[in-house]
Amino acid sequence: MRYERPETIVQATHLLAEADSNAFVLAGGTDLLVKMQSDGFEADLVVDIKSIAGMGDVVEADDTFVIGAGVPCAALGENDALVAAWPGVVEAANLIGSTQIQGRCTVVGNLCNASPAADSVPALVAAGAKAKIAGLGGTRMADVLDIPTGPGKTSLKKGEIVEAIVLDKPLARSGDAYLRFIPRTEMDIAVVGVGINLVLDEGGAVQSARIALGAVGPTVILAEDAAQALVGSKLEETALDVMAAACSAASHPIDDKRGTVEFRKQIAGVLARRAARIAFDRAGGN
Amino acid sequence: MNRPFGSLTFTVNGERRTAAAAPGRRLSEVLREDLKLFGTKVGCDAGDCGACTVLLDGAPVCACLTPAARASGAEITTVEGISGQGANALQRSFLRHGAAQCGICTPGMLMAASALLAETPHPTRAEVEDAIGGVLCRCTGYTKIVDAICDAATVDADEAIPEPGRAVGARIERLDGRPKVVGTEVFGADYLPQGAMDVRAIRSPHHAASFTIGDTVSWAAQAPGKVQVFTAADIPGINCFGTIPPFADQPAMAASRVRLRGEAIAIVVAETATLDEIDLSSFPVTWHPEPCFVSLDTEPDAPLHETRPDNLLITGFVQTGDVDAALANTAHVASGEFETSYVEHAYIEPEAGVAWPEGHTLCIQACTQAPVMDRDDTARILGLPEEKVRIIPAAAGGGFGAKLDLSLQPLIGLAALKTGRPCRMIYSRAESMMSTTKRHPAKMTARIGCDAGGKITGMVFDGDFNTGAYASWGPTVAVRVPVHASGPYKTPAYRAKARAKHTNGPTAGAFRGFGVPQAAILQETVYDDLAEKAGLDRLAFRRLNALQDGDRSVCGQELHGVGIAACLDALRTPWHRALDRAAEFNAAGGQARRGVGIASCWYGCGNTGLPNPSTIRIGITPDGTLNIHQGATDIGQGANTVVTQIAADALGLPIAQFELIGPDTHLTPDCGKTSASRQTYITGKAALLAAQALRRDILARSNMGEDARLRLHGRTLVITDGTASHDIHLADLPENPHGYVLSAEETYDPPTEGLDENGQGKPYAVYGYGAQIAEVEVDMVLGTVKVHNMTAAHDVGRVVNPMLAEGQIEGGIAQGLGMALMEEYIPGRTENLHDYLIPTAGDMPSIESILIEVPDPEGPMGLKGLGEHVLIPTAPAILNAIRHASGARITRLPALPHRVLAAIRATR
Ligand code: FES
Ligand code: FES
Repeated sequence: MRYERPETIVQATHLLAEADSNAFVLAGGTDLLVKMQSDGFEADLVVDIKSIAGMGDVVEADDTFVIGAGVPCAALGENDALVAAWPGVVEAANLIGSTQIQGRCTVVGNLCNASPAADSVPALVAAGAKAKIAGLGGTRMADVLDIPTGPGKTSLKKGEIVEAIVLDKPLARSGDAYLRFIPRTEMDIAVVGVGINLVLDEGGAVQSARIALGAVGPTVILAEDAAQALVGSKLEETALDVMAAACSAASHPIDDKRGTVEFRKQIAGVLARRAARIAFDRAGGN
Repeated sequence: MNRPFGSLTFTVNGERRTAAAAPGRRLSEVLREDLKLFGTKVGCDAGDCGACTVLLDGAPVCACLTPAARASGAEITTVEGISGQGANALQRSFLRHGAAQCGICTPGMLMAASALLAETPHPTRAEVEDAIGGVLCRCTGYTKIVDAICDAATVDADEAIPEPGRAVGARIERLDGRPKVVGTEVFGADYLPQGAMDVRAIRSPHHAASFTIGDTVSWAAQAPGKVQVFTAADIPGINCFGTIPPFADQPAMAASRVRLRGEAIAIVVAETATLDEIDLSSFPVTWHPEPCFVSLDTEPDAPLHETRPDNLLITGFVQTGDVDAALANTAHVASGEFETSYVEHAYIEPEAGVAWPEGHTLCIQACTQAPVMDRDDTARILGLPEEKVRIIPAAAGGGFGAKLDLSLQPLIGLAALKTGRPCRMIYSRAESMMSTTKRHPAKMTARIGCDAGGKITGMVFDGDFNTGAYASWGPTVAVRVPVHASGPYKTPAYRAKARAKHTNGPTAGAFRGFGVPQAAILQETVYDDLAEKAGLDRLAFRRLNALQDGDRSVCGQELHGVGIAACLDALRTPWHRALDRAAEFNAAGGQARRGVGIASCWYGCGNTGLPNPSTIRIGITPDGTLNIHQGATDIGQGANTVVTQIAADALGLPIAQFELIGPDTHLTPDCGKTSASRQTYITGKAALLAAQALRRDILARSNMGEDARLRLHGRTLVITDGTASHDIHLADLPENPHGYVLSAEETYDPPTEGLDENGQGKPYAVYGYGAQIAEVEVDMVLGTVKVHNMTAAHDVGRVVNPMLAEGQIEGGIAQGLGMALMEEYIPGRTENLHDYLIPTAGDMPSIESILIEVPDPEGPMGLKGLGEHVLIPTAPAILNAIRHASGARITRLPALPHRVLAAIRATR
């Protein structure tokens, strides 16, 4: 196995593009080290991106936050401006693993590992986050929604690296929230995760909404009917009922030991109701 | 991945260190294997248990998920680094509070806590729970760990050493605690003799298969270093073991057919570096999978073991009175059925140990609960005389029953015999979970009747217990269950049957309670129905039926020292308070509902109607050293401490003067196995008898009366009685072959009688009793259950050490809560600690322990066992509370949210 620690993103993309097979990016390492232990797993090349300038930074510009691929999740919670702007995204990122994992795991790693139950992804999708992707031909932007294509699979092409996550500054009168359901109090994998972002109009009614569901399909699901159900409402029970039903309908979970299909569909609706209330409050609704 | 790659420099505990390290190596591996800092533990290698927590530039990280390359240039602090000269304030607080039981989680806890305390010297409980949320403990239930961390800033006064005669009952620190908190305790994986090689097993990926092993010689030849392969064909003795000799049926390595997933078929022995380079999945074996069944839902067409048609291992049976007539003519009858799942012991230490030849003796230092059984079975498998095998129990990082069975002992023993070198083996988490025993899944039905006044008239119980591929402790479970399924209640007519049946599931063996917790769940939930039918308060109903002194059990045994009524009486006030609290909460309405439940337990201590002696030797050397040879393995429960407390008071010398020897099959007489809640009672009684005998001898030599005081001053033993005084000059006395000038050795075996064909007899000499109240909150929309409080009253006869007793209660409740709400082992799917969930600090309720002392006429100083009792009432109390809160009648464990929600729906 070859281990490389390039100093620039261009070098990193070249290394990955030229690798014959089994090349992996090492960010925090919390997923990769576990994988490396499993039988039959082979890594021929590991590209450690820690030494690349800027990877460990959260940069606040006039209208965006740029979260580098090497930023540990714990650091998001320490960034007051980000917490104020996107509390739901930060909460989701801070739910990944224990304190000891938080110091190492990254949002980009969570995204590229492409687990259907990844906590940060529904929150990012609800927030309309984009991924900045470096490749041989330069950088491109893609919706976070489009990165995972199935369990363990992404739309990244050979030689491409997600360099950063880009979040727009939130609009006025908006708020986001993330809730997940786990059987244990902490340190568990989501049975259902719901990210919601609401923007209110001047009258305090929902002007636009984005609702993303995690762990109820092979990839994160953008529940557009559910979001539509909230538009124009002030989260009256009837609107919430329609929204919850639409969330359940949009969910296509599998039966497993953590929950049955029926249960997960139902919980998606229940959590969406509770998350919507939080987001609504944060947006200043009442 | 582990090919050396340059070197790596970092600071460890203030010292600059360099390690040759491949970049992908884990920091945990570099610390342990290269720097020999064994204080950092590895429980899962996957970020799930936190045992490997160290500080990296002051922040807590999982060393197992930190690539060594990332430590380059960093400052690492391990448990050794905070220990300095001795224990620091936090470590002393851990000792003072009894926060370390087995101690395997302790270094990780200490490091996580250190990071918190550096920023927040006076944390709240919530802050502490948050900080240690990623570190799992299977022993303590976290309560005392949180206490210790919150109290770390308190300056401790030097502990008062109890006077002679005052050791029993004193809240003293565990005698073996210090190494556990400073990181020097030697667990199975922590001893690496010079020149040791590593052993890895090749295991079956199938539940059932025949197999043929191919050309291992050519396979081994491809490795970058010397590799040796051994299979069943290399086993020199009888390739068959079992914890109960008449049922022995398990090979150390399968010869041609496997009966469960994870069964070993070969071992590969080489230098660690060589082994790391080999892909074990390329081992030359051809599998021929066979039809398999892992649960009792499907019946197989062929028996797993030829001698056991219908896959029936054994049936346990107890019958008294005419139960059919009783139930036909009684006022109220309630019936129920219940199904439980496989439960994994999930100790934080996966099996580990090392074997080495020493002259003509094979030494094995490994985790165990039963050193003498290990010795006898390993000797038989390896074709050695018993005295040529020496078992030195390593500190066990938790056991709970699974470390009673052999695991790696014959494998490392064979490797050491064949290679002539020390051989070490450390199970991976997956290997540990796959191949070792579990709690029996049970499918049970019961019918119980009471008269119009609420008095129990009869009970019928029937249960099938999935005993998995091999016998292990299946016979014990099948026999214990019918003896105990009545609960601690007077049941005049009774018929109970329990069958242990084989499947290709994991072998089900011993797990805290031997099947009694499963049976108690059914009996105690049906009792709630009966109480309702009889129109009685649920606690009052139980109190009405509680066994009394002189009553006969369902086995016809006349019972004495019965403490269940006292336990229930102690719970009366907490019960009514809890009911009021719940009613008040529920009056506010909302989606959360609170409920209260109660359940009891009783449990016989020691083997069921079979001999199980313990022997203790106490001796004084010519130079005045007072030794106690204590052969009971202390797996965290505290045998080292409580047995010595008893000996100290019986002898009349201060506990601080005792030196502990053992356990070690070459140094300590047999104290049997650490199971069946027997050590405090049986080994404790042997210690009492040995100490009394020694005292008698000393008093006789000095012609002093019974009340004389002993003092040991250097080489002189001073005996005083009033004004009379006598000195024994130890150096003047002749030494016996053990090197003692004064000594005594005594054996105690409980007076029991075997059971007849109706299960009548005297199965145990001593029983312990208890009852617990659970207060829960159920989210009626999500189906989640949060246990807020547990109040536990346990009759221990006589409290030897209240701190250790509370520790047992809190730890038992944690395991009972896990069993009730989250734990379900599914072969092939939950072989790690993120798919198999055990409670974390945040899952724990606040616990109030009430220790009751109803002396037992047979137990030493009146005491009774406690270790398993504590887990039995927890799950049924929680289920009864869920029902009280929500109406949901759970009939299958664990009560996962989707099952709770479905049960809530079923009530509508
Ligand atoms: S060994 Fe590192 S978390 Fe378990
Ligand atoms: S003391 Fe925590 S695992 Fe044993």
